[in-house]
Amino acid sequence: MDISALKSQKPLQILRQELLFKLNGWTILSLIVGLIIFFPIGEVLLSINSQSENWSHLKETVLLSYLLNTIILVVGTAFFSLIFGVLPAWIISNYQFKFRKILEWILVLPLAIPTYISAYAYFDVLELFNPLLIWVRNNINNDLMQFINNVLVYMVTILVMSSVLYPYIYLLARSAFVNQGAKLRDAASTLGYGEKSIFWKIALPMARPALIAGVSLVVMETLNDYGAVKHFGVPTFTSGIFRTWLGMGDLVGALQLSAVLIIFIFALLLIEKQIRSRSKYHDTLHSKPNSKKMVFGKKGSLAAIICCLIPLILGFVVPVIRLISWAWISRNKAGTIISMEMVSNSLLLSLISSVSIVSIAVLLAFTARYFKSSIINLSNRLATLGYSIPGAVIAIGILLIVAQINAWLNIALTGSLFLLIFAFIVRYLTVAWQPINAAIETNCDSLNHASKTLGSSAYTSLTSVNLPLIKSTLISAGLLVFIDVVKELPLTLILRPFNFETLSTATFDLSSQAQIIESSLPALCMIGIVLIPLGYLNYRLENIK
Amino acid sequence: MKKIYLTLILVCTNLQAQINIYSHRHYDSDKILFKKFTDQTGIKINVIKGSADQLIERLISEGGNSPADILFTVDAGRLHRAKVAGILQPIESKILRENIPPSMRDEDDYWFGLTVRARVLVYSKERVTPDQLSTYEDLANRKWRGKIAVRSSSNIYNQSLMASIIASNGSRKALSWAKSIRKNMARAPRGSDRDQARAVAAGLADVAIMNTYYLGILANSPDAKDREVFKKVSVFFPNQNDRGTHINVSGAGITKSSKNKKDAIKFLEFLSGSDSQKTFGSVNYEYPIKIEANQSELLNSWGPFKYDKLNLSVLGANNAEAVKLFDKAGWE
Repeated sequence: MDISALKSQKPLQILRQELLFKLNGWTILSLIVGLIIFFPIGEVLLSINSQSENWSHLKETVLLSYLLNTIILVVGTAFFSLIFGVLPAWIISNYQFKFRKILEWILVLPLAIPTYISAYAYFDVLELFNPLLIWVRNNINNDLMQFINNVLVYMVTILVMSSVLYPYIYLLARSAFVNQGAKLRDAASTLGYGEKSIFWKIALPMARPALIAGVSLVVMETLNDYGAVKHFGVPTFTSGIFRTWLGMGDLVGALQLSAVLIIFIFALLLIEKQIRSRSKYHDTLHSKPNSKKMVFGKKGSLAAIICCLIPLILGFVVPVIRLISWAWISRNKAGTIISMEMVSNSLLLSLISSVSIVSIAVLLAFTARYFKSSIINLSNRLATLGYSIPGAVIAIGILLIVAQINAWLNIALTGSLFLLIFAFIVRYLTVAWQPINAAIETNCDSLNHASKTLGSSAYTSLTSVNLPLIKSTLISAGLLVFIDVVKELPLTLILRPFNFETLSTATFDLSSQAQIIESSLPALCMIGIVLIPLGYLNYRLENIK
Repeated sequence: MKKIYLTLILVCTNLQAQINIYSHRHYDSDKILFKKFTDQTGIKINVIKGSADQLIERLISEGGNSPADILFTVDAGRLHRAKVAGILQPIESKILRENIPPSMRDEDDYWFGLTVRARVLVYSKERVTPDQLSTYEDLANRKWRGKIAVRSSSNIYNQSLMASIIASNGSRKALSWAKSIRKNMARAPRGSDRDQARAVAAGLADVAIMNTYYLGILANSPDAKDREVFKKVSVFFPNQNDRGTHINVSGAGITKSSKNKKDAIKFLEFLSGSDSQKTFGSVNYEYPIKIEANQSELLNSWGPFKYDKLNLSVLGANNAEAVKLFDKAGWE
């Protein structure tokens, strides 16, 4: 709505309108908050102006391979995540079979496992192929063996990543399929569509917005990963950023690479928006969610169960069993490795972050929608970019900004929990903002209009209309942020205070000193903690529908 | 009430002397030594662990207000970078000068090496005899086609090795060396140093370039499979007839902003002392800075060796060049 408004009016007119009628405490506060959150990202983007001495070297030697590797990884991971996510979602929302209920629930479990931990759990899986590789080298030739090795590396990396990332797609696809409604299906079958064509020609195209949203989450997570690609030796853009920064000591070059990555992501998001805005996906039949399910026979049930189990086994069962067996070997060290303090640090940090992020998301989303302000809408878009940028790059941006504040106020802001939480806000705001913004749009927009006409203040509208209506979304959004912060690594690592250990930093510490086996102890604790909000979230989602 | 708490906190923090360390090291040996130091002197030690590069960035960002007293890294290259970035200060200490050989400390006394790791060749006992091995340079020979395992060039240990080769042979030769090594690799580089030993044990490669430290980890792993790997391989110290085996140090410098400089120096002197040096060797399989004084059984089993006496500042100075050469050579 704001974009079309922008197109039809002259910018100056909009600006005047914004300034005259929409300048108030709410909009000013939201604008300031939004811009402060955007600062670190803006600092990174600014660097595209300065010229790195190594840029031409990068362009001549590695840039193309970074780009190619990244594209292969992103496309491959998106593809397998789609298969792993959509198929079970379709089966579960349309058919009745044994264990359906429990499968529906446990399919989200891989969300509890960060990609870097899954990569550790699979660290030696490529060694299984050594005999094959050696045979090929001895009996055919070295070139073919190198080729097979490379294919295997990509396959394993892609499978490891997609088997933990698919739940993003699964969750969204499931609710899309369920909401498509029974009447639509009935209509389609009356018209002679078979099961296959209903899926390909009706259900799948209609679920496109949900699928695209899920895929874009998967893509961002893939781009953000540093641990897994480092372990499997796939030089992507993200690893290139680190190499340029740390290896060549060229921060400007690294920031320029990051800026290219940000622009790349921005372009993807824009294309996605364009594609989506051209088509409309309304269910005009207003049919009830599809509660009638077709019953599978024995063979069908077996096939369905296998379909659901494959991604679950790859993404959850295998890594967790592996971690448990390692934890068992090193159980007598548990007392020295894990401390109560670590656990409470993880919990407290995640809790405070969730509450602050949800509050800010409410402020920003509400102000933009209530006052229909395109300026706030724009600053919100900028403030929510953080999720698409690797955490370590955000850390650089924050350090650059804070350096100026440190010098200016003569303090050291780094090392305060305040700054760490600010960093999380920059990174994860969008996780809460997206659902909250959508919830206000669908539930409150027209009511807000009504309450405005009735002369209520914005504050009253927010507290007595909006918040009660979107309460369940607030809780879900908070839980999502909580899960992300518990798993977060790069920001915590660099911005934390003295003697401050969380479960994720402890996992990293141990694995980076080559004690992968011992690192299973804090890793399992972390997974355990994430499972609680994850289970609750899933329970809520099911009850809503 | 609040005021009382505040005063209490202030009094407590003032009473106990403390030093603040930014450390890249995540080792048990350090935990033991930190505790020992506190027990002996009553000086409390606060630590933030992270990657050295990011800690350096944080120090730059904090400027003169940084609470850190010491930067502790696992390689000389990053210490050199910290010196160039202007976040360290020179230290005058007779004890440090006596305990640490000249090549292992900064020429202007901005930083000091505290433990040593050698980058050696680890070979398969089944398929290679030690007389087939000689130098890093020799690994570029065609006879090793498809037989070498080594990790990514994004890793600092490889960058340091390359920096030492640039110092010894010049950039042009170093580039052609890297190209040949890439051709001779048994597989595209991946994993940690440990995984290179695994590749040799599995028969995928014959020789791995890796640090001694990781062999200690394998030898003492709780996992039987790791110990099996250790049994199948052996250590060779390259370049014994010329410049010596490439080494790197874990080391530390005192920050420019340090507010507890005296205690920080005391701490570095403590770490350079012979007792602490023994702990590094036995707990963490690192060589002491006086390599010949090494007392660890495992390390002694590999025998004495000649090491490259190149001043380790050069590793830092050549690091960017090393990365560029790796890029050109296609060594991922």
